[in-house]
Amino acid sequence: MGVTWRAWRRGLEGGVLAAVALIWGFPTLWVLYATFAGTGHTSGFTLGNLAGALQTAPFGEYTVNTIIIVGTLLLTQGIVGLIVGFILARYDFPGKSIVTAIFLLQIVVPVYAVLIQDYQIVQGLHLLNTRLGIMLPYAVSGIAVVAFRQAFRAVPRELEEAARLDGYDMLGVFRRVYLPRVGPAAIAFAVISVTFHWTDFLWPLIVTNSDAARPVVVGLALLAEASESGLQWNLLAAGTAIVIIPVLIVFVVGTRRILAAFTSTFDWR
Amino acid sequence: MSTLVEPASQASPGPAKAGPGARWLAGPGVRYLLMLPPALMVIGFVVYPMVQTVIHSFYRLDGLGRVIGFAGFGNYSALFANPVFMQVLRNTAIYTVFAVVLSIALAFALALLLTNRGIVNRLLLVGIFSPTVMPTIAAANIWLYFLAPQFGLVTELLGKVGISQANILGEPGSALGALVALFVWKYAPYFTLFLMAGLQSIPQNVREAMRTEDPHGWQSLRKVVLPIMAPMLAFVVTLAVIYAMETIDPIYVMTQGGPANGTNLVMFYLYQLGFNYYAWGPAAALSALLLGGLSSLSALSLIALERRAFHWA
Repeated sequence: MGVTWRAWRRGLEGGVLAAVALIWGFPTLWVLYATFAGTGHTSGFTLGNLAGALQTAPFGEYTVNTIIIVGTLLLTQGIVGLIVGFILARYDFPGKSIVTAIFLLQIVVPVYAVLIQDYQIVQGLHLLNTRLGIMLPYAVSGIAVVAFRQAFRAVPRELEEAARLDGYDMLGVFRRVYLPRVGPAAIAFAVISVTFHWTDFLWPLIVTNSDAARPVVVGLALLAEASESGLQWNLLAAGTAIVIIPVLIVFVVGTRRILAAFTSTFDWR
Repeated sequence: MSTLVEPASQASPGPAKAGPGARWLAGPGVRYLLMLPPALMVIGFVVYPMVQTVIHSFYRLDGLGRVIGFAGFGNYSALFANPVFMQVLRNTAIYTVFAVVLSIALAFALALLLTNRGIVNRLLLVGIFSPTVMPTIAAANIWLYFLAPQFGLVTELLGKVGISQANILGEPGSALGALVALFVWKYAPYFTLFLMAGLQSIPQNVREAMRTEDPHGWQSLRKVVLPIMAPMLAFVVTLAVIYAMETIDPIYVMTQGGPANGTNLVMFYLYQLGFNYYAWGPAAALSALLLGGLSSLSALSLIALERRAFHWA
């Protein structure tokens, strides 16, 4: 009896999961369908909607902007996170708690609450409408610092001492002992950073007022605004597809690794 | 190679691997120097703006945001005297409660289901987590299409079950409901990730024991899972509250705060105050309030995890 109950229950759970996956995945499926499935006279696979979207708005330019912004931020946040995270994990020094507090403050204070002041700073630096202006407030990520600090702390000290006995100096120890062990933390941080900046909307919206620096999400929102005055929905779907396909590919290819990295990084025992 | 030749006990300052530049890098002064620029960036774009926001909230500001005189609590009283702001507060409270409760309940159920199952079909995972990688703006576009009167998918479905001419975004109540649904759809999978991480910390043998001795799982859920998960749940709940209070993207795309300010939430109102009405004084006051509220919430969420993970000093 216990066995049948368990089998029955397992089937039910599978059904629930499948239903959730279908409903939750449906909008993505619909975007892909509306973009690539021809209607009316052109049935079957079509790239016409994509081409149409690219003609209606400079999605190529938007996408380049987004890639530059997301890539540069990932790099600077990652490098700063590695360096500061390592120093905080590995050394004791006067003022350490103050330094830690500053980087924790970066996590705690939401960008939205200081949006107007940041806008005025960027305006004062004459960086409105530039990619640099969009990136500047985000250049340092407290989450990167904390994630790497946790990962560095988990490395056994014996490994470092063994490497020292082999004659490596601090930089060598860092490269050969510590760096190879922060992979999951790096993936988890990268996922958080890329998804945040890829999807970030309000800050780039107020900083930009022309296509020169505008990221793709802002371009999409403006296209949607225009669409209420009569733009075709399949063009809007194609614009949406341009935004989601790159991230979707990365996620489909690395599903398990990304989920596992996330789980291990936030499994703070 | 040199490691093989040289005995470890040798007192000479290391083999060729340690160049002079590398040794210089390890000095304490260099460590401060390395941390200074990032710390200054945070001070410049977080700490200074924080202080400035609070100070400005007590001054009268002109259309360009420049200080033109002392206001005392004038900006705050102007903010609260406005009936629209009171409605915004009410909307935000209703939206936040429903969005948080529903998304966390669903995320908890999903986390339990996925963890119980072990290996899950990749297609299922991609389906469930696809909203997480989709920008809210993109999602809002799609939902706008689904909910459009006359030809929208949801509208047609509702027509099939007898609710004809539904204009979900045209009524304040149902429009706010649609925003709640969008939040749950978008964030429940994301919260599931954190809760799954929390479930990992239940030891394997405990999980085995739960499975054999309590097949229905309710007892162990209450007595084992919930206590272990409490800090992670607290963290995710505060995260959800913060995200809900920061909601603006779908409002910008789907409703622009309407109809009749029925979906005007606090972040969108702040945006309107500043960048539509140039009322920088009340905007600074609202920013200062958000700063206090949201920052203490995120500090709380970190403290919720602190006992397990963070060693502050």
